[in-house]
Amino acid sequence: MTFRSMEAHLRLSQANYPVISFGTGSLVRLPGPTITQPNVYQFNKTSYDSMYKELEAKDPRLYRNNGILNMLGRNRGVKWGPERWQDWPVGVPRLQHSSDKGSEGTEGGVVDVVFTCEERCWDAVIDDLLNRGSPLNRPVHVINVDIKDNHEEAHIGGQGILDLANSLNAAAAEERGTVGPAAFDSGSAAARASFDERVPEIIAAWQERWPNLPSTWTLAWF
Amino acid sequence: MASSPSSSSTLSVPDQIRQLNDARKLVLGDVKYYPSVVRGILPIVGPKAPIELRRWVTDFLAEAFATPALPNSEKETMQPYVLTTLESLIETEVDAQVLRNVIQAAASIYPLAMRWIINNSYDTVTWERMVSIKHKILQLWDGAPPTVRICCIKFAQRVVLAQTVASGAEHRYGGGLDVSLDKVPPNHQTLDPRILEAEASGLLDRMLSIFQGNNDGLLVDATLNCLSIMARTRPSTSSRILNALLSFNPLQAANSPLTPKTKVMIKSMEKTSRLLLIHLSKRDPHNPIVPRIQQHVETTMRMVAELFDSAGRKRPLEPKPQDGYDAKRQRIEASQIQIPPLGPGPHSLADVFTLIGNDGLKYFDVSQVPPSLVARIAVNTLCRLDAQVLAKAVDGVRGRLETLNNSPPAELNPNTAPLGVEEDEDDYEPDFYQAEDTEQILNKLDNAPAPAAAEPRISLDDTLGLRSFSLPQPQPLTPEMALTAGKATVTSVLDMMKSLDDPGTKKQKAGFNRLAASSESRDSWMTILTRLATRSSAGLEEITVKDEAADDSKRPPSLNNSIREILYNYIMEDFRKHIDVAVSWLCEEWYNDRVQRKAGSGSGGGGDQPTYYEKCTLRLIDGFLPYLHPQDKVLTRFLSEIPELNRAILSRVKHMCRDPSVTQLALTSLLYLVIMRPPVKETALDVVQDIWTEFEDARPMASKYLSKYRPQFLENATKENNDNPTPAPAGTAITT
Repeated sequence: MTFRSMEAHLRLSQANYPVISFGTGSLVRLPGPTITQPNVYQFNKTSYDSMYKELEAKDPRLYRNNGILNMLGRNRGVKWGPERWQDWPVGVPRLQHSSDKGSEGTEGGVVDVVFTCEERCWDAVIDDLLNRGSPLNRPVHVINVDIKDNHEEAHIGGQGILDLANSLNAAAAEERGTVGPAAFDSGSAAARASFDERVPEIIAAWQERWPNLPSTWTLAWF
Repeated sequence: MASSPSSSSTLSVPDQIRQLNDARKLVLGDVKYYPSVVRGILPIVGPKAPIELRRWVTDFLAEAFATPALPNSEKETMQPYVLTTLESLIETEVDAQVLRNVIQAAASIYPLAMRWIINNSYDTVTWERMVSIKHKILQLWDGAPPTVRICCIKFAQRVVLAQTVASGAEHRYGGGLDVSLDKVPPNHQTLDPRILEAEASGLLDRMLSIFQGNNDGLLVDATLNCLSIMARTRPSTSSRILNALLSFNPLQAANSPLTPKTKVMIKSMEKTSRLLLIHLSKRDPHNPIVPRIQQHVETTMRMVAELFDSAGRKRPLEPKPQDGYDAKRQRIEASQIQIPPLGPGPHSLADVFTLIGNDGLKYFDVSQVPPSLVARIAVNTLCRLDAQVLAKAVDGVRGRLETLNNSPPAELNPNTAPLGVEEDEDDYEPDFYQAEDTEQILNKLDNAPAPAAAEPRISLDDTLGLRSFSLPQPQPLTPEMALTAGKATVTSVLDMMKSLDDPGTKKQKAGFNRLAASSESRDSWMTILTRLATRSSAGLEEITVKDEAADDSKRPPSLNNSIREILYNYIMEDFRKHIDVAVSWLCEEWYNDRVQRKAGSGSGGGGDQPTYYEKCTLRLIDGFLPYLHPQDKVLTRFLSEIPELNRAILSRVKHMCRDPSVTQLALTSLLYLVIMRPPVKETALDVVQDIWTEFEDARPMASKYLSKYRPQFLENATKENNDNPTPAPAGTAITT
């Protein structure tokens, strides 16, 4: 929720993808002066801007040097504040987030692909989806791309996720382009295959390009 | 707004789509417009409408029936007229996306339609429409492209949910998920619960059949990810689902050539089924099947890891992160912890266990930190450590050890090669190699003295090699050290026992069946202590005793006696409360004396064993007599319960009478013995006589008893007394 997901959010929204970002923990935790004194904030209730102002008032040197202010400064330009996955009412229209980057296209309150940046988050997302009981009957691809939570790795990971998003999007566009019975009767095998079926091979090909970003995928339901 | 076919036909398709998008924005802003907008756009979409419109409208319908923002009652009144459109579309549709949307919408509508027919049994037309859509979807299930098939699976899931009995345990889902077979009245005009249930059962089987030999990760995942709600809320499905999951082997796809795509799918199927199983067992932890689930999860995980490990060996290793970079980042996350494999050797043992790249920390000598602090840090860290991080780290180290183990043996340096290697080679059993390796390391770790800083780096080949290891010779154990240790143990047992002191809860007497330490009560610990005191070295001490029994202080101290001392002190702390301990201790002493005597006479030793019973009894009675007050029943109890009485013991009672306030107590206790313990009756009466003789104050009371039991004596004594008013000295009167 700190470096990685916001980096990915920024990248994807800059590439004109509709995007929503979430944390899966119970609280937003930012590094504090020592490892046992993190700065803790509530999800959905604290804006990046207020976090920025609070930490800047607390110890500007510390939080500038450890990159937190830099990150919060960037984040507040991306969206209002951190949201928690488990509190997300999937399928409820999302119109009040219009100032968030990448909000266009997410008005329906659903997405086609969920990226997580850590295996633990992927597990939390799947467990939560199982728990919700798949009431919407809507398939969703949940993909984990393991990224270390620091500036540099987040940067590399953001590129990796964008590359994967581009590959997936290309396949989806191809599917939209194939029309009617033609989709069954003509065209290459790859073009005939639907987006959903192609996801595993797209990830496999992507994994060859990004061997240092381990990934996991499943098809789940909203 | 595009509200009629005639008006829409005048617009181009892109214009129509634009209008439709505006309409959608309207309903997203305020869901109350849904019914009118849905009603308005249905006419523009029929089997003949342009593909773009069919896709858009069906997508919109799927969204409308899925969104939790729209109340179910609204959806329920909308579904009758939407079903007409859906039915006409699904009959002829071939476009996968339209089909997908239609099936998704139908899946959301199915429970609503069922609730509708339950409450409006006259409207068979709508229900028949739903049934016809259902049959069409079930037909499509096998032949359609995978992207449509996953939606068919989901549709079947909703049918099963609606047509099986709910547990009633989880009612918080609301919406269509709560529609279940128990909502159908048994005499419903249209719906026959038995037929519905049978159909659901068949559909569940069909869903679960995917786990038998299907290699398509997409279909398997789609099925796995919709099983949870069924298993949790529909009890009749859960055991079938669990059994299907437990017999599912995601590796069956591994038989085909292992392409990158199949690897993605195998990993996905394994991980998804693992998460589902863990998810289900977490929510029903007392289900007897949980241990099987855990076993299955572990086995499958291992199999997949092995498969990928052997396949992935050739992958280039991750480049080492730049030096100095990681130093800043001590925070460890499960996924980001990387255990770099060891580079080319030689390695020290420390290298094998070093998981960080920071050289400064690597050379930090932990032995300089006080052990208590290390322990605290270690415990704290282990408490907070993410289990995944630990597992990953352990795996990493294990992997390193395995790599080292599998790597070709380093050339032996003739200068340092252990002797005897060649001779041993023939007997060498490689099976033990690894086990001993690990043990060796653990041994080393356990026993390693603090490595001196100046010590040369131990090369790994030395540390991991098989060498004999011998523990350092322990300090010779002196009897004093053993005694101190024994005493400390006994003291701590006693301390613990005191904390167990709980006279409030009296349990039934164990009697002769008492077993030492059969329960963790005060009694059982006391039994251990008394037996330790009496028996532990019984039979080993005759010789010294024979010579020096006269003088206890010269005898070497023994554990027994120190336990006796501890017991004595414990009893005297509160003799009224601990009198039961005193009695049981004395019983043990008495018993042991008997056993020793018997053993001694049997072996011809001639009864030179030390005896303790009398000594201990006298000591105790001397200990508490001065503190007795007139109402103390404890003396009576003590005298009646200890196993053996003799003159010496009873004479102590006699001396009590020096204090007139307890004379009565002494005499009643003796009387009690006279009545209740026939074997000592005469002795007790003798003592009463003595009391009469020695203590004038006690005479009135003593004579009361004597007049009953020894009238002869009393007569003689009074006569004698009349002749000679001074009482006879004790010695003369009691000679027997």
